[in-house]
Parts: sequence; C-alpha cells; structure tokens
Amino acid sequence: MTSPTLVVGELHEGVLSDSTKEAVSVAQSVSGKENVVGFLAGSSPRGPAAGFGRCGVAKAFVAEDPRLDGAVAAVVAHLVASAADSLGAELVIVGGSVFGRDLVARLGTRWNAAVATGVTSLTRTGATLEARRPVFGGRATETRQLQGPHVAIALRPHASAAPPESPGDVALTAVPVDGVPASFWVPKRLGTEVVARGAGPGLTDASIIVSGGRGVRAAENFRLIDELAASLGAAVGASRAVTDAGWRPENYQVGQTGKQVSPQLYIAVGISGAIQHLMGMISSRVIVAINSDATAPIFKVADYGIVGDLFQVVPALTQEVKRARGQ
Amino acid sequence: MEIVVCVKPVPDAETRLRVAPDGTTLDIEAVKFVLTGYDESAVEQALLLKEATPGSKVHVVSAGPPPRAEEALRASLALGCDLATWVETPPGVSPDPLSAARALARAISTIPHDLVLCGKNAGDDEAGVVAGALAELLGVPDHSAVLDLRWDAASSRLRFQRSTEAGMEKWEAPLPCVVALQQAWNDPRTAKLPAILKSRRSPIAKVASEPIASTAGTTRPTKFELPPPRTGAKLIEFKTPEEAAQKLVKVLKEEAKVFP
Repeated sequence: MTSPTLVVGELHEGVLSDSTKEAVSVAQSVSGKENVVGFLAGSSPRGPAAGFGRCGVAKAFVAEDPRLDGAVAAVVAHLVASAADSLGAELVIVGGSVFGRDLVARLGTRWNAAVATGVTSLTRTGATLEARRPVFGGRATETRQLQGPHVAIALRPHASAAPPESPGDVALTAVPVDGVPASFWVPKRLGTEVVARGAGPGLTDASIIVSGGRGVRAAENFRLIDELAASLGAAVGASRAVTDAGWRPENYQVGQTGKQVSPQLYIAVGISGAIQHLMGMISSRVIVAINSDATAPIFKVADYGIVGDLFQVVPALTQEVKRARGQ
Repeated sequence: MEIVVCVKPVPDAETRLRVAPDGTTLDIEAVKFVLTGYDESAVEQALLLKEATPGSKVHVVSAGPPPRAEEALRASLALGCDLATWVETPPGVSPDPLSAARALARAISTIPHDLVLCGKNAGDDEAGVVAGALAELLGVPDHSAVLDLRWDAASSRLRFQRSTEAGMEKWEAPLPCVVALQQAWNDPRTAKLPAILKSRRSPIAKVASEPIASTAGTTRPTKFELPPPRTGAKLIEFKTPEEAAQKLVKVLKEEAKVFP
C-alpha cells in the first residue's frame, strides 16, 4: 500500500492557487487519489481548504493563525513536518512558486528528506521515486532518483494540468500552531505592492509571455508589447538590453540573470537571442520570433518566425488577435 | 557587519553541453567552470554592502571539488572579498544541494556571520534550496527572491523588496539572517590584475567535508538528456503585415494549439 502524500497548499487571491491544484494532480497520479491529503496554513484557511475537496482530496490539515498569512516558510515547514509524521506520510509535494521552493528547502533539512525543485514530472516505479527537471536554463533535463525515508518535491509551474473539479467534501483536521519556537516567526513585512497580473512579476507562472528587446528602440515604443500582451492575456517580459536601458524595471528581465520562464507560448519581439536571454526562455513550449534581422540567432531556436518590421507587424498582430478572440 | 557569501562554480554559459559516457550527468571533461550568474552578483552585493558599512568584512565560502571551488574562491578574493573558506568535497561532480548546504553550514557556524548571502540558484542544477537549508541549519530566518537590499544603520535593520507571485513586497528584517538574492547585476565589477596576482597567494582556510548522515535523504542522478536540436523557425511568408498576423494566428491556433 502506498503511504499518504501531503500536498501543501498556497493561496492566490483568497483561493487555492493554480500551482497547488497542479500539485494535487501530480500527487494523485503518483500516489493514488485516495492517498492524497491537503495542508493549508493561514489566518482563516478553512474556507479556501474546501478547494481541496473539489479537486478530489477527502482530508486536509489546517493551521490557523493570523501570523501565518504571507506564507512564512520556516514556520510552515515545521507544521508540515509534524503533520506528515502524524500521518505517516513519506512524500510532500508543493506547487511551483517562490514559497514552494522556500518550503522544500526548510522541510528537506528539518525532515531529512531527499529534495527536488522545479520538477516537471514525478514517477513511481515500485518503491522508487524519480523526478525529472530542466537544468542549465532549460538547455538540458536531468532525472534524479530520490532516496531516503522522506521526499519533498516542489514542482515547476505548469508541471501538470489541474485536476477536474467537481463537488466534493474535505474533512479538516486542525494543526496546533503553539508548538512553533518563537524564533521561527520572522520579521516584519512592511507592505506588498501588488502588481497587476500580467506585469513583469507575474512572469514565472504566466502561460503566455510577450517579451520586447533592443529592437523596440525606445521606452515609449514598449506600449506595442504591452498592447499585444493585453490582447493575448499574456505577461510582459523584456531582454537585458531593455532593462539595462531602463525602459522597463529589472524584474521584467527574462534570462540567465533574470527570470527563468517556461510558458506555453513565448513571443520574442525585437530580441536577437543572445545566450543570456535564451537561458531564461528556451524551455518554453512554443517560441515565436519577430525580428527584422533574418540572421538573428533567435530564429534558430524559435518554432515560428516572422522576418519583418516589428513596428508594422506587432500592431497588425494585436488587431488580428483581438479579432480572433472576439474583443 | 560580518558578511558571508556562498559561491558555487558552474559551467560557463557558452559551454557546449554533452552527456557523460554513463548517461547520468553532464560530461565535465574539458568544461570551464566559472563564478557567474547569481553567485557573481551575490559577491557584488556583498562588496557593495561592505563599502557602504564601515568596519565590515566579506568572507567567501564554497563547498565543492578541486580545483574549481578553489578557483572560484580566488576569483572572489580578487574581486575584494577579505577571507575565504573551502569545504573540499571529492573530485568530480558537485555535491547535491542539501549536502552542499550541510557542508557550508558546518563551515559558516565556525566563523562570524551576521548576514549570509546566496544567489537565487546556481546556474547548473538550479535547485535554489541552499539558502533555506542553510538558514534552517544555522537556526536563523531566511528571505528569498530579494531585490534592492540595503542596510539601515539607524534602525539596525535590513530593508529590501521580495519579488513573488503576489507582486513586490517590502520588508525589513534584523540580523542575523540568510538572504537569497533575486537581484543580478548585469555588469558586476571585474578584478584588476594586481588583485588577481595577489589572490593567487592569499591563504584559503580548508575544512574537510564529512560523510552525509545515513538518515538524510539524498538524490542520485540517473539520466541527463539534451533536447533534440531545434531545427530553426518555420518562417511565415507574407506580403503585408496583416497577412503575417493572420497566418501566425492561424498556425498558433491550428498547428501549435497554443492560442488562448
């Protein structure tokens, strides 16, 4: 019999995040639907934890404390380790997010687990778990066998589709928070400037990204990129040339020293395709390049290319996308 | 402020990746390992903080095999780090991230450390767990995805931003702590020749690595794959921009099936 698998949830705008649902889906496929148990921490986790039920999860732990909002990984790792031990779980899975990675780092150490992050697929053969994950900026893929009494996995965004949702109940068990040592509660967050989804910081979990490069020529021309992105419901990215020039802040940068992204569709506009940039986006599923220079290296890695003047092609494309989507 | 910065040498970005003969890892034969990416930027951040905070020292630490870990430490000394410690691991591939974190933690626990800086992740395995694991092992808080890190001497607090899925968060935090930097300088400082020459003779403290406790989980690489070479873009032929747009939307819909 497979031991229970714990999925640690995370909230986005008050409901279970897409990355959490993806984690549920991966857990169900490696451990069997009936062996998956949810976990959610926050100031009022009971309402959103019902989302586990709609994903086919029948049991979940909830840790309730106002200080838990904002996902304090050190504390949550402590609570997850106790919940996992009380359940006899050997595997903990969390979605692809900043919090997921932080949690697994803490939990791996605390719980003596074998750890893998940025995982795109997880398979179980007999008693052996293997994780596949892109490495070297998506230029290679490695498979690792996870050996140990415990395993903690953080997925990569879009590692799996979310499970189909249907009405379903989840039985909640409260996890006491008072056993957490005082030193685990960390210092003050002064505030969160929530940036609209679709802007730079939403890059890592976007399913479509439109990025602009040096070919855009000036900060004010970047609205062409914004408009195309808006028509597609996409996030906006930029190459290093753009952030170096100050046309966009550095959290828009896709590349080796910026964000590493793996959307379904990546549209590179006026980007030549330096290795620095390719290392951030080469694992995108479909790559489209729009550039006036037919010899630009970006055309070597793109699936589809338009050799043309972006100042003509991009506005036409925005209009066509709007038309096709009935906007 | 006693600043510790952790570095890991990784293959140069221009390296042509090849699979090792046994098929499980990167072939490191003839690969040039360098201090680069987020780690190089972490050294830059450490030096900027040192310059802004009189009386500070930067101690660079690496856990890895010879000769590349030693080379990365010497490169950091040449950039302006004051002290270096090397946890020497067996030759060949680098230790897995949690093993590296355990080795680093053992070394860091014996040296003064107010602030421990790490890059967001190493450019090779991209695990991004060393900072969190170090914090757990050292018993201090950690902050990830950090941009715009500053020390406010008046309040004795670090002030910084975090870039998360929710947006940009503003934080302040006391020392000691571990910080994983999202921030990357595209043009970090380069070492001057006299400093490079001097760094070749600088002492490096060496710590022997210990075997991993048998209770700890470990990972073992079983396969290393390179994607089939991309064959180049299918170019869309067109006479007008409108035609290009129509054809592109059509292939994204019907062939690639990625149109929203």
